[in-house]
Amino acid sequence: MNEWRYEPAQDLDQPVVERLRRFPREPDMSVYAVRSLAALACRGWLKLYHRMEIAGREHLPRDGSFVMVANHASHLDVLCLLAALPLRRLHHAFPAAAHDYFFVSAPRLAVAAIFVNALPFERQIHLRQSLELCRQLLANPGNILILFPEGTRTQTGEIGAFRPGVGWLLAGTEIPVLPCRLEGCYQALPKGACWPRPYRLRLAIGAPRTYPRAEPHAVADDLRQVIYEMH
Amino acid sequence: MITVASLATAGVVLAFATFVLRKDVRTIWVTYRSWLIMAVLVLGFVFAGRVAVIVGVTLLAVFGFKEFARATGLYQDWWMTGAGYAGIVATGVTSLIGHPRGMEPGTGWYGMFVALPVFVIAVILLIPILRNRVHGQLQLMSLTIVGFIYIGWMFGHLGFLANALNAYGYLLYVVFATELNDVAAFTFGKLFGRHQFRSEISPRKTWEGAIGAFAVSLALPWVMRFSFPDFGVWRLILTGVIVGVGGQLGDLSISVIKRDVGIKDMGATIPGHGGLLDRIDSLIYVAPLFFHMAGYSYGLR
Repeated sequence: MNEWRYEPAQDLDQPVVERLRRFPREPDMSVYAVRSLAALACRGWLKLYHRMEIAGREHLPRDGSFVMVANHASHLDVLCLLAALPLRRLHHAFPAAAHDYFFVSAPRLAVAAIFVNALPFERQIHLRQSLELCRQLLANPGNILILFPEGTRTQTGEIGAFRPGVGWLLAGTEIPVLPCRLEGCYQALPKGACWPRPYRLRLAIGAPRTYPRAEPHAVADDLRQVIYEMH
Repeated sequence: MITVASLATAGVVLAFATFVLRKDVRTIWVTYRSWLIMAVLVLGFVFAGRVAVIVGVTLLAVFGFKEFARATGLYQDWWMTGAGYAGIVATGVTSLIGHPRGMEPGTGWYGMFVALPVFVIAVILLIPILRNRVHGQLQLMSLTIVGFIYIGWMFGHLGFLANALNAYGYLLYVVFATELNDVAAFTFGKLFGRHQFRSEISPRKTWEGAIGAFAVSLALPWVMRFSFPDFGVWRLILTGVIVGVGGQLGDLSISVIKRDVGIKDMGATIPGHGGLLDRIDSLIYVAPLFFHMAGYSYGLR
């Protein structure tokens, strides 16, 4: 008789906080349920309070892994991008979130890991490992990586320079990347504000691009230029 | 009268818990603190009444089943895990609602409760057929059935016990005596343990510990006779045997699973104890056996 093979969860011996901190996280039915409900509530909020508009949904690939890249002005940004995705792909969408900001205190960790499904990204040290994590994620089918290549929220409302990390990830590959332009988020919830104002939000999703032959720096600059010119 | 008796039980429970645990405070005070919190929670739920007990037991079973599913890898199949959860919730519901035709409300639906495994297992067997799957299904079905029967249904008898006339006495006694049996086994094992009890399953369990715990469990019903004022001599002896033997068996039955899977603890939910399941495992045998023993001779109502 063949022996049964058991596959215990990798994080079995860890307390809840550690389980949320590690990545990739084990699938958890209750987390998925909470995340789906929160996403529904969030979509309703964005629609009603911010009268959010989404243009270019038809550019989202049906299947396969892809990257979404957007300008970053506010905590609302990631919620807007997630709201554009079909619900069934929600649990396979991983916004890269600053490890030094979102993965330190327990409440932020809970928000990042449960509601947003964030990927811990070390933006200062261990940058290479973080990019490697992203690369592995994209190597699996059906994953969506959400990146803000500016690396931080803009202070002025202008789009800052794109860091080359996104280029390192995409240059020389066939991974499609969707440039996304967000408007209104800076006015609605700028850095430092604690409650969103009812500004109208607009998300434009551009056509997918690939960079099979390009320099990393050129990729970052090109993406910034494309997003800058979008409206 | 029952309220007074149960309040006294609560006092004894707390006094005993505190006394027994203060000895451990120097070595493993985390374990001790967890015990205190658990004692307060259990007392809170029991005295909050019938509904709170049934809801609490159902929640414990749900999270216990979740640990089981995560430990065995069952959690990756959402259909089976979902069926397990549904079965556990059904156990809670049948404990809560009365018989649909007549019968006084608040007594639970005994017939359905006892017959529930038939229906839950039928649903579990149906899942591969509905999904048109074969590969690995026998393992998934077996794991779900074992998980539901152990953690959902057998443990769930504790919730149904809340429908008894003397619910406070029964519940507090069963929980307290079983946990004391655990602690006694551990203590006697540590002090006098020489001969391994079930060497393959749990290397730290010894004959000395098991016999010591059995003796404590046999004596306890006489000390705490006020928990079940209508029990005769034979019932008291039976209560002692059920707790003394059943507590050890429940513990070992979960250990078998852990050893076969190759893990030490079922989780890390309770600091100093391991998983939820590592704490409630002793009740898996005691709850249904005590339930039927008490119900057989007196009727729970």
